Amino acid sequence: MEAGKLIKPPVEVRYAQELEALRAVDDGIRPENWKMSPKAVRTFILGSREAIEYNGRSYQIQKKYFGNDALVERCIITLAGNRGLMLVGEPGTAKTMLSELLSAAVSGVSTNTIQGTAGTTEDMIKYSWNYALLLAKGPVREALVPAPLYIGMEKGVITRFEEITRTPAEIQDSLISVLSDKVLNVPELEEDGFLFARPGFNVIGTANTRDKGVNEMSSALKRRFNFETVMPVREAALEKQIIQNEVNALAKEAHIQMQADEDVAEILASTYHELREGISSYGHRIDKPTAVMSTAEAVSVYYQTMITGYYYGNGSISVDALVQNLVGAVSKENKEDLEKVKAYFNTVIRDKSSKEGGVWKQYYEAKKWLK
Amino acid sequence: METVLRSEEMVEITFLPIRHHSPACAWHVKQVIEEQRPDLLLMEGPCNANGLIPVMTDEETKAPFAVYYSYRDRLGHISEEKGHYRCYYPFLDYSPELAALREGRRLGIETAFIDLPYAEILAATGQGRGLLQDVEKPNYNDDYLLSRNRYLQQLCEKAGLRSFDEFWEKYFEIRGIRESSETWFSHLSAYCELARKDTPQEVLKAEGCLEREAFMAARILERARGLAGKAAEAETAGSGGRIVVVTGGFHTAGLKSLVSGEQKSDPRKNRIGEENQEVYIMPYSMEAADALNGYASGMPCPGFYQKIWEGLGSGTFPYHETVLDMLVATGKAVRRKSELLSTYDEICALQMADGLAALRGKPEPGAYELRDAVLSAFIKGECNLATDRPLRILKEQMTGRQMGKLGRDAAVPPIIRDFELQCKRLGLKSRSALESEVTLSLFAVEKHRCTSMFLQRMLFLQTGFARRVKGPNLQQKKDHNLIREIWKYKWNTQVSAALIDVSVYGGTVEEAAVSMTKQRLGQEMDAGTGAMLLTQVFEMGLDVQMEPVYQRVHELLLQEADFYSLTKALQYFLDMQRLQGLYRTYLQLDELTVMCCQKLITCLPSMTRIRDEDSEKCMNACKLLYQITGHEYRSLQEAFFEALAAMGQDTELHPGLDGCIHGILYGSGRETAEDVAGACRSYLTGTHDQLLKTARFFRGLFYTARDLVFIGSQFTEMLDHFLGSVEGPEFMELLPELRMAFGYFTPGEIDRIAAMAARLHGKTGEELQRAKEVLPGWYAYGKELDAYVMAKWKD
Repeated sequence: MEAGKLIKPPVEVRYAQELEALRAVDDGIRPENWKMSPKAVRTFILGSREAIEYNGRSYQIQKKYFGNDALVERCIITLAGNRGLMLVGEPGTAKTMLSELLSAAVSGVSTNTIQGTAGTTEDMIKYSWNYALLLAKGPVREALVPAPLYIGMEKGVITRFEEITRTPAEIQDSLISVLSDKVLNVPELEEDGFLFARPGFNVIGTANTRDKGVNEMSSALKRRFNFETVMPVREAALEKQIIQNEVNALAKEAHIQMQADEDVAEILASTYHELREGISSYGHRIDKPTAVMSTAEAVSVYYQTMITGYYYGNGSISVDALVQNLVGAVSKENKEDLEKVKAYFNTVIRDKSSKEGGVWKQYYEAKKWLK
Repeated sequence: METVLRSEEMVEITFLPIRHHSPACAWHVKQVIEEQRPDLLLMEGPCNANGLIPVMTDEETKAPFAVYYSYRDRLGHISEEKGHYRCYYPFLDYSPELAALREGRRLGIETAFIDLPYAEILAATGQGRGLLQDVEKPNYNDDYLLSRNRYLQQLCEKAGLRSFDEFWEKYFEIRGIRESSETWFSHLSAYCELARKDTPQEVLKAEGCLEREAFMAARILERARGLAGKAAEAETAGSGGRIVVVTGGFHTAGLKSLVSGEQKSDPRKNRIGEENQEVYIMPYSMEAADALNGYASGMPCPGFYQKIWEGLGSGTFPYHETVLDMLVATGKAVRRKSELLSTYDEICALQMADGLAALRGKPEPGAYELRDAVLSAFIKGECNLATDRPLRILKEQMTGRQMGKLGRDAAVPPIIRDFELQCKRLGLKSRSALESEVTLSLFAVEKHRCTSMFLQRMLFLQTGFARRVKGPNLQQKKDHNLIREIWKYKWNTQVSAALIDVSVYGGTVEEAAVSMTKQRLGQEMDAGTGAMLLTQVFEMGLDVQMEPVYQRVHELLLQEADFYSLTKALQYFLDMQRLQGLYRTYLQLDELTVMCCQKLITCLPSMTRIRDEDSEKCMNACKLLYQITGHEYRSLQEAFFEALAAMGQDTELHPGLDGCIHGILYGSGRETAEDVAGACRSYLTGTHDQLLKTARFFRGLFYTARDLVFIGSQFTEMLDHFLGSVEGPEFMELLPELRMAFGYFTPGEIDRIAAMAARLHGKTGEELQRAKEVLPGWYAYGKELDAYVMAKWKD
C-alpha cells in the first residue's frame, strides 16, 4: 500500500518508517508475537523527547494521542494480559484512533477490524463460507472465509471491534466464550474444527455511551474486558493544539497547501470547549447544546472552512465560512441548539470581541450567519 | 546527609534533610541514628513544644496525633485585628521526626525542637503567607515549598509523571528503600538544593524561612558549644561529640551555610511572651491527615503508606505485598456491597499493577499503579458516579481509619477539664463511648435547662459530643409546642480533639462558645442569619458578656436592605421574647426589635409591586407589624398606618397585599365593613383582568380579617357573584388561589359559609351536599329543549 494514493492510509502505512525504526532499536522485552515491547508501544503513541537514530536517519517520534498518558499505559498493559480492552466514552474522543495506534504498534496491522452496525451478524465476526467451494468440496478449511476474529486468533494479531454497542446484544455475546477460552469451534470442520488462538491475539472494542440507539453490553461480556473511559480533552489550549495538528495532517494528505491559522484554531477550540463545559473563560453560564461538541467535530469544521478558503477564497480562511460550517455542525439534532449557540455569541463572544478585538471581532460580526 | 565539622567546638554536626511523612525517609533517619549514635538530636518544630516530647515518645501514645499550637494575639503583635491563631503539626508512625524522637528515647539520646516558638513564626511571616494563609486548618509542615516550583514541573514532565507525589514515590520511596542511607540523603539534598535555588529570596523572607533558619542555626551552635564544653570538662579532647539535625529538606541547605559560617545572620530576639501561647498534643485521625482531604502538605494516602512503613520492618520490600493486600481488601469490600467482582478480577488487577510498574520503570507497583489497576480491572463499563464505587472504596482503604491515642501523662487543656467538670456536675457520662440518651424537662427543672445549655454549647462548638433528637427548634421555627428535649450523647477521642481545637477560643466551654459566637458574627451575613445565630445564643443561655454581639446584630440590621431578611429577623426576635421566661434566658432584644420594626416600616411603601410568590411573606410581615404595634410597641403604630396608607396610593398594588391591608385597616377600626366592600366591588366591576385578581384580593383579606364574611351577607354575595362570572378554564386557574383563601377558615366556619351560600340560592347547606344526580339522558333532553326554545324565540 502506498500512502500517497489513499484518502486515509492506515496507521501502519502512515507511520511505517517510524514503526520500523522503533522496532529496530527496541531492546525491551516483547510479549510473544508482539512486534515491539510495551515500552516502545508507549513511545510510539506518546512520543519521545530524544530522536531515534536508525539507518542513518533520525526520527523524532511525535505524540499522537493527547490526553491521559496513564490511560494509554493501562491500555498497553491490558493488551499484554488476558483480557480484552474496551474503550468507552463520548463520541469524538479519539477512541478509534487510539485503538488503531495500539493495534498497529502491537501487531503491525490495524485493519483487522469488525465494523459494528445494527446489521452485524455472527458471520461477519467469526467466519462464513465460500458457497461455490463448499458445494464443490464440502466443508473444508479452503472453503471457509475467515472474518476478523478468526484471523486475529489464527495469526496472533489484534482484532478491533468498532462500535460494539451498535451491534445487537446477542451478536456481541458471540465474543464471550472466545475471549475466555481462546478457542473457536467450527463444527463443520469436525476434528480440525478447533481454532486455538495464538499468542498476541486480543480484542480492542470501542463503544459509544452517549449516542441514541446503542445496545447495553451484557455483564458476562463486560467481565471479559478491562474498561477505559476516554474523556474529552479538558484544556482549551490542548484542544487548540490538537485541532491544529489534525487539520494540518488532513491538509497534507489532501495536498492542500495551507497551514492552520493559530488564531482561528483558538477561536474554534474555545467555542467548542466552552459550549461543551457550559461555562466560559469569563465565568458566564452557558446552555449546553445537545449535539456532540467533540474535538473531532471541531477539526472537521475547521477543515471544511479550510477547503472552502482553498478553492473559493484565494487560500485564506474566512471567519464567515467558519461560522457557516459551525451552524451545520451544531444543528444536527434539534433546532434549539442553534438558539443556544446564538445566545452564546450574544453573551460570551460579544464580550470577547470587545475585550480582545481582532479575529474575535470578525467572529462576532459573523453571527449574522446563525439562522 | 552532610556533616559539618565546627573546628571551634570540634563538634560533628550531621544534617538530615527530610520530607515530613515519608516511610522511606523515616526508615533512613532511623538507620542513621542507629549507626551514628549522636549525643544530641535536634529537630525542626516550634521549641515551645519541647515539654511534650516525653508524651510523644510514650509507649502508650499511638500515632496519628498532632501537636496543637495556639496563640491569642491580645497585644496585636501579628496584626491589628488581634485574632486567635492556631496550627497543627501532625505526626504519623512514619513521620521522620517521630521516628527520630522514638529512636532517641530508645537509645537514651537527648532530643529537642529548635524552631522559633509558634507566635514568633507568625510574627516573622508575611500576611497571607506560610502559617498565616487563610486555610481552615493551618499546618506547620512546609513541604509545599519542595513541590511548588518550575524546576519540579519540568522534572515531572521529563520523567513522564503526573505530580510531585508520584515523582517522590517513584524515586524516593520505591527506589529509595533500596538505596543506602548515604545515597538516599545525598539524592534528597541535591533535589532540595535545586528546589531552593528556584525560589526567590523574597519568597523565602515572606514565608518566614529566613528568620526561622537564623534562629535554628543559632540554637544548633549554642547546643554545639554546650556539648563541647561538657566534653572539655570530661577531658575527652579531640571528639567534641556528635549532633544530628533533622529538618525539612528545604531548610537544610540554608541551615548548613549558616552553621558552617558561610553566611551570617542575626537571629530574631524573642519579642512575644509565653503567656498567650498554648501547646497541646491531641489525638488525630488518618482522615484528617490525608492530603486529599484538603490538607495541603504531607503525602496523600496515609493508610497505604502506614502499611508500607509496617512492612519495612520485616526486611523485605513491602510494596508488592501491600498493593496485593489492598486489592484483596478492596475486592472484599466491593463484594460486600453486593457488586459482582471475582477473584479473577483481582488477579487481573495485580497483573495490571505489576505491568504498569514495569512499563513505568518502577521496581514495584506503588499507590498510583494500585489506583490504575482498580480503575482498569474493577470498574465495569463507563467510569462515572454510578460505577466508580470500587475507586471510592479504595480511596477509603488508602486513607486508613486509624485513630490516635494519648498516653496518660498528656497534659489536659483547661477546656477539657471544664468539660469533665460540667459533665460531672450535670450527671452526664463524660467518658462513655456508648451512646446515652437524656430527656430534659426544659421549662420545669432548672438543672435540666442547665444541661440543655451545656449540650447546646457543645453542639455549637461542633465537638460531635451531643445531638438533639427532639425538642423545640427555634432556628427552624418548629415544634414550639414541645416542652421536653431529648438528647443523645457519646464521648470519643474526637470530642477531646475537637475541644482542644477550640481551646484557642477560651479556657471553658462557655467562654469558647462566647468567643466563637463573636467570631462567627464578625463574618459577612444578612440580618436574618444574624438573628438566627442569636437564637442559638439564646438556646445556649449565653446572656452575659453579650454587648458586642448585640452591637453586631444592630449593625447587620442597619446594613440590611432586604425586606424578607428583616422579617425573618423580626420573627426570631419575637419568638425569643415570647419564650424568654420559659427558657430563663433574658437577652436585651427590645432595642433590636424596635430597630427592626422601624426598618420594616420604612421599607413597606416600596413593597407594593411584589411577585406573587413573595406575597405570602409580605402579608405575613404586615400582620406581624400590626400585631406588635398594637401591643408592646404602640409608639410605632402611627408610622405603620402611614406606611399602609402610602401603599394604598399605588395603583398597581399587589391585590393580595391590598386585601391584607384592607383587612388590617378594618381590624383596627380605621375602615368600616362598607369601605372594604367598596374596595372589593372595585375589583369585581372592573375590567375582566381586574375581576380575575379578586381571588388574590380575597386571599389577602381573609388572611387578616376573615370575620368580615360573617357580617351581613354582602361578602357572601360578592363571592357568589365573582364565582358566577368566571368561566370554566379561568376558574381552574384561580382555584389554587381560592383554596389558599379559604384555607384560613376553620372547618366550622367553612360550613357556615357554605350554608350562607346555599341560602342565597334558596337552599339549605345540607341540600347542597345532597344534590340529586342528573341522569345523562335528562341532561341531553334539557339541552335539546333549551336549544329548541331559543330557536323559536329568535324566530
